[in-house]
Amino acid sequence: MRRQAAIFSALLAALALPGSALAAEAPASGDTDSATVGIIGTVPAMCFGGTLTGDGTFDLGVLVDLTTGQLRTDLSAPNKLLVGSFCTSRSSITVSATPLEAQNYTAAAPNGFSRVVHYQASAAGWTALPATYNTGAASNAAATQSRSTAFTGDITVAISNFSTAGGASLRLVGDPSYRGVVTVTLAAVN
Amino acid sequence: MRSLLLLPLLAVATPAAAQSLTTVTTLPVTGSVPQVCAMQQGAIQSGSLVNVAGLDGDTLRIIQFVDPATLSVKAASATISFEAVCNFPHAVRVESSNNGLWPVDGRITQVPGGFAYAVPYTAQVTWGVANAQFSADAKTRRIAQQTINVEAPAAGQLNLRIEIAEGASNVENRAPVIAGTYVDTVRIFLEPR
Repeated sequence: MRRQAAIFSALLAALALPGSALAAEAPASGDTDSATVGIIGTVPAMCFGGTLTGDGTFDLGVLVDLTTGQLRTDLSAPNKLLVGSFCTSRSSITVSATPLEAQNYTAAAPNGFSRVVHYQASAAGWTALPATYNTGAASNAAATQSRSTAFTGDITVAISNFSTAGGASLRLVGDPSYRGVVTVTLAAVN
Repeated sequence: MRSLLLLPLLAVATPAAAQSLTTVTTLPVTGSVPQVCAMQQGAIQSGSLVNVAGLDGDTLRIIQFVDPATLSVKAASATISFEAVCNFPHAVRVESSNNGLWPVDGRITQVPGGFAYAVPYTAQVTWGVANAQFSADAKTRRIAQQTINVEAPAAGQLNLRIEIAEGASNVENRAPVIAGTYVDTVRIFLEPR
């Protein structure tokens, strides 16, 4: 009975619980005892993809030279920034993309024409080498990059190296909507 | 009793909803291709000239319009090629200003019987999968035109073959032709249907 009373006393002191009825029980004088209380906190491996600045769309405008019908050679779109991205553990970044495709002209393009534009998407700032993905490539070995430490920073997403599927001599079919998607994935590794 | 006291010490932080093991950001890529037709300057197709001097600017000049012995029209033909593109289903329209070759000099009003005063010709258009013949019959002096629908985008060479038949006339075949300079203007349009 005396031992149990001592344990309660130690716990109440650590918790500083005011007004507890148990606090009225004083330790027995002359006795020495101890108790251990474990305190556990966990931080899970997790990532935050960042806050996109501005409009989240790469808008390329008119894709062709209106005098030839062929893909413009000066196509570009401003980079996109993912601000404040972080991962609490080692992580990987992966970029993938789908080519720009005519959304209304869905039939096969006739001879001399194409309805698809390829490009390269990249995500830089997270790893030493940017993750890159070319929609026209058979494989994309550099699409996933890894880092061994937790990190926080901004990720710059860019698109470039546009080309007409099937060859540069082909023209693009008229269509008011060509569309593709760039996807950036941050993954924490436990 | 002991367990009740320990509970407040085991609080665990829960991550915010937007943070997880994997986060995905998608960014659309957009663009447009307006409907466009374009045609370059024409050029004579090699080996296609018969009794035609060539293309002078955008004018075909016939070497010998009539046979000096009979004064009836001599055959002449030429094919002109135009590099062109239309990136949508469209139409080709061939338009003749005069519906045949007619005298420049509008003062020729008295036409003696048996003489031709206008010369018919044909214009053959080959473009993509389309192939059509336009006939300027010279029966009346007017604007004449023919439209061909093309169901798919087309690119490459648009060929226009102008052909004047031997002895062509707006009266009887091989009729002698009244003196004068005979002209017509052919226009080709690539346009929406």
